[in-house]
Amino acid sequence: MDLDKLRKTAAEIVSRDDVKYLLGWRRGTFGYRVAPYFIEDAAGVDELIFSPLCISNLATYLTLVEKLPVPRGQEPDQRKVALLVKGCDSRAVAQLLVEKGIKREEVVVIGLPCPGMVDRELLAEKYPETEAAAEVKWDGEDFLLVGEGGETAIPRTEVLAEKCRLCRHPNPVISDLTIGEPVEPWATADDSGVAEIEAKETAERWAYWEEQFSKCIRCYSCRNACPLCYCEDCILDRLDPTWVNRAVNFSENTAFHLARAFHLAGRCIECGECERVCPAGIPLGKLNRKLARTVREEYGFEPGLDPEAEPFQAGYKPDDPEEFIL
Amino acid sequence: MTEKPKLGVYICHCGINIAATVDVEEVTEYAQSLPNVVVARNYSYMCSDPGQLLIKNDIKEHGLNRVVVASCSPRMHEPTFRKALQEVGLNPYYLEMANIREQGSWVHEDREAATAKAKTLVAAAVAKVRLLEPLTSREVDAEPAALVIGAGIAGIQAALDIADAGFKVYLVEKSPSVGGRMAQLDKTFPTLDCSACILTPKMVDAANHPNIELLAYSEVEEVGGFVGNFDVKVRKKARYVDVSKCTGCGDCAKECRLANRFPNEFDEGLGKRSAIYLPFPQAVPAKYTIDPEKCLFLTRGRCGKSPKCVDACRAEAIDFEQKDEIVTFKVGAIVVATGFDVFDPAKKPEYGYTDYPNVITGLEMERLVSASGPTGGDIVVHNGEEEITPKEIAFIQCVGSRDQSVGNEYCSRVCCMYTAKQAHLIKDKIPDATVKVYYMDVRAFGKGFEEFYDRVRREGIRYVRGNPSEIFKRGNKLVVKVEDTLTATPLEDEFDLVVLAVGLEPRSDDRKIIDLLRLSQSPDRFFLEAHPKLRPVDTASDGVFLAGCCQGPKDIPDTVAQAKGAAASALIPLARGKVAIDAQVAEVIEDTCRGCGFCVSICPYTAIELVTINRMGHSVEVARVNEALCKGCGSCSAGCLSNSIQPRSFRDRQILPQIAALGGIR
Amino acid sequence: MSEQFEPNIVAFLCNWCSYAGADLAGTSRIQYPANIKIIRVMCSGRVNPLYVVNALQQGADGVLVSGCHPGDCHYMEGNFYARRRLKLLKELLEFTGVDPRRFNMSWVSASEGHKWKEVVEKAVEDARAAGPFDQFRRRQIGW
Repeated sequence: MDLDKLRKTAAEIVSRDDVKYLLGWRRGTFGYRVAPYFIEDAAGVDELIFSPLCISNLATYLTLVEKLPVPRGQEPDQRKVALLVKGCDSRAVAQLLVEKGIKREEVVVIGLPCPGMVDRELLAEKYPETEAAAEVKWDGEDFLLVGEGGETAIPRTEVLAEKCRLCRHPNPVISDLTIGEPVEPWATADDSGVAEIEAKETAERWAYWEEQFSKCIRCYSCRNACPLCYCEDCILDRLDPTWVNRAVNFSENTAFHLARAFHLAGRCIECGECERVCPAGIPLGKLNRKLARTVREEYGFEPGLDPEAEPFQAGYKPDDPEEFIL
Repeated sequence: MTEKPKLGVYICHCGINIAATVDVEEVTEYAQSLPNVVVARNYSYMCSDPGQLLIKNDIKEHGLNRVVVASCSPRMHEPTFRKALQEVGLNPYYLEMANIREQGSWVHEDREAATAKAKTLVAAAVAKVRLLEPLTSREVDAEPAALVIGAGIAGIQAALDIADAGFKVYLVEKSPSVGGRMAQLDKTFPTLDCSACILTPKMVDAANHPNIELLAYSEVEEVGGFVGNFDVKVRKKARYVDVSKCTGCGDCAKECRLANRFPNEFDEGLGKRSAIYLPFPQAVPAKYTIDPEKCLFLTRGRCGKSPKCVDACRAEAIDFEQKDEIVTFKVGAIVVATGFDVFDPAKKPEYGYTDYPNVITGLEMERLVSASGPTGGDIVVHNGEEEITPKEIAFIQCVGSRDQSVGNEYCSRVCCMYTAKQAHLIKDKIPDATVKVYYMDVRAFGKGFEEFYDRVRREGIRYVRGNPSEIFKRGNKLVVKVEDTLTATPLEDEFDLVVLAVGLEPRSDDRKIIDLLRLSQSPDRFFLEAHPKLRPVDTASDGVFLAGCCQGPKDIPDTVAQAKGAAASALIPLARGKVAIDAQVAEVIEDTCRGCGFCVSICPYTAIELVTINRMGHSVEVARVNEALCKGCGSCSAGCLSNSIQPRSFRDRQILPQIAALGGIR
Repeated sequence: MSEQFEPNIVAFLCNWCSYAGADLAGTSRIQYPANIKIIRVMCSGRVNPLYVVNALQQGADGVLVSGCHPGDCHYMEGNFYARRRLKLLKELLEFTGVDPRRFNMSWVSASEGHKWKEVVEKAVEDARAAGPFDQFRRRQIGW
């Protein structure tokens, strides 16, 4: 990764009059952690990084940032937001465009072909001793762990994040400019996590999810981290009508997670943020990926590839599958 | 702040229709215990005047502001009770019905189960009615014109009535002439008037009426919009004859290289026509048409040195360059009068219709006996060897009717009588003929029918009760094999001619009309009326009405009566000049709408658009509903992730409590 | 013999086809189990798939959604949307271990009173076989 070029480009972009800030990543407070980074002027670019640790999807911030009331007599800030996107992140941008969550002219999209991200927790688990001050780089088929004790090569497959193992679109699908050479998409593994659950008996599946959903503390992190869960007033928060009670118990948790997963059907771009941020370790990505696969295989549709596409849930084909209907 | 709900719950006995299976007292007692219920009563007929009065008095006395009626289907009496509420000044939309008859007492025998279910349904209605909102229906202008599809007697009559009332009518007929089936008939039962003599003047009237635009040889291609404002697209098929020049002289048909080569549809194939033709002498408009599938010039690109019709036509009306023409217009109401097909007896091979030329259908008999028919009214048939005047003639009833084996369970209603009529006509023309009618039952139910049936029997027509099993040939005779079920005698009777009294079937191309107008079919495959008793000419599509045999088999008087009924119904929006728009349309909650446009994509009526509004200084897009276009289906709502678009009276906040009540967890 | 479990079924029917079909079953006095309780909506397209989840949570052992046959929708397209949405919901429910017999969808026209009876009988049999869905019931607040 040519960091210099990235920083130079970033500096040019944030210096533009029509750009409000640039969204990127910088090193976090500890170890392998990486934090989102809002850069408002060129001086800030020195801390900008792009490494196998930059797993978070910055597209979330496009809609997460609150639109504060504009004082009387003032005009709202119409400047663009620039952001760095990996393949998966770019699909979120494309899907946001489909849903008019953002407008094309409101963003400057800087594409970064992505050779795959590291699962930070897996890495810390396997190499705890290096965590305090380590950096991770791509090195051909390996990840390179750079720490005080020198460089350690780790086979890519050992710590590759699950979503990256399954990634079909490592190169940005939409961007104003791209930094770095396109990467060759790799042969993706079957989604064994989903298949494993599908292979279970109904009662076993229920038992599996009962255990998972029971862990939920209803912190709503999954919803907040999702780039496509951006209703200002989520129906699952509402009291009139009450779709889901606030009580944290298995019944309400299940209703919540079914609703969340359903709302993402045909929309989820499989960036895996929901699952990554879950403090209870619920494998939420499996729910989304299950539906994404149905949509892909039975309807031939993949969201977040074409900003002009018809929204999946707002469309139909006369010959959609209906073998389940009596 | 809306006032506190004060509910009245009314449980109907419907005589014993409900009360015999549902313990109405128990349900009433239960209703009384539900939250916000001020008064709960039961009564023998809630829909009757005293029943409605009960509700009205309670509204006045107890200050009720919500009403639940547990009775029949809301599809039946919702308008009745809405009106009752309105009459005492309560908003008509403060009503919810619990369907404890069609979906309760009539489908469950177990009194305990039916009562328990009725209680639950009442609880759900109570849960919903508390959250209903007052609505006002609005009106839009109705286009003062009507479309009539099909110009048989039903369509002609409907068109004439609407036109006579002073409104524009577009009368669309797919064949080259108006007249339909009735024009093919010789005499009509039971009065024996000449069919053509009573029909032709009406055909001419329809063609010449200043308010009727006749679009013959045309088909409706598209219908959009809704009651009061339908957008119609009609294809006028090319006749290849300039109708403004054609004088109807017929020289072209005489000269046509393929003169009299093709079976004439009007004569049921018994007569012949040319590639350029007039379906029948009294055709309206009396203009010739070139059959594009038969004409040499149109199919092969040449016809001798030059087409003979062109040479023959002194009016220079032939125009091979003519193209189909698309006509568009707006109407406020539509009458469907597309008629019927006759049953194809080839589906009953045991009767040998396709094998023996002297086995014919009733409609063929009409042409044969008609003075304007191919034989000039002489009854002559070919028995396979020679042309003969038949002396022994059989009629077989119920061919393709009341017959599950061909999928037609219904009675076609006209065959008994047209058989009697034809038997009489045969006796008239061939006095020494023997005529036998094989029947299952004779249904002579109409005015003058029984008398006529009696008359023909006295004339010597023999009625034999039995359903023939087979027709076969013996020598030059046809043998009808049958058991006389009154005497239990197996018979093999010999005849010169067998007439199959074929029944009526839905048009084979009905599907097109169904798709155009969103109609439903009843189990017999004819078009379904909105209610079998109370709305027999209406359909589930507002502003679309049915006339004649497209809705089910009927004779001419019934057809004309229904056509006049359909015309009167179609005239309602035209005469009022306004149509009410359903108040139960969708509403956008702009505060939570995120402007994603899903609803815009979903709406089948393009009733939703995105508009830019100012939200705290920011320009944002939100959905907006055009209430004149919205039909209240609610598809947008189920597709809205933030539930920001909600159909009135079917909002999430109104349905979820219903679900809770039915689920039983409170 | 122990008493047979009587499941509670909530059904969502479109006004124009299935609800009319159910009414026709009534007018024709076609008998079917009383386990089914109907909510009338104008179109199957109105049925938010989350209603199904909500019904199961609030006491239904089975849910049925019924609309017009494809191409016959009174609103032209509503049942097509319903079909797509509810297929996804069905997949999701199955994946999370909800017995697939708890959710059925059907096309029943205004003239199919007999089909309505068959659909109800199937929905009831299915839910009966799946048993009471107590695990998912909304917990009652106890204060």
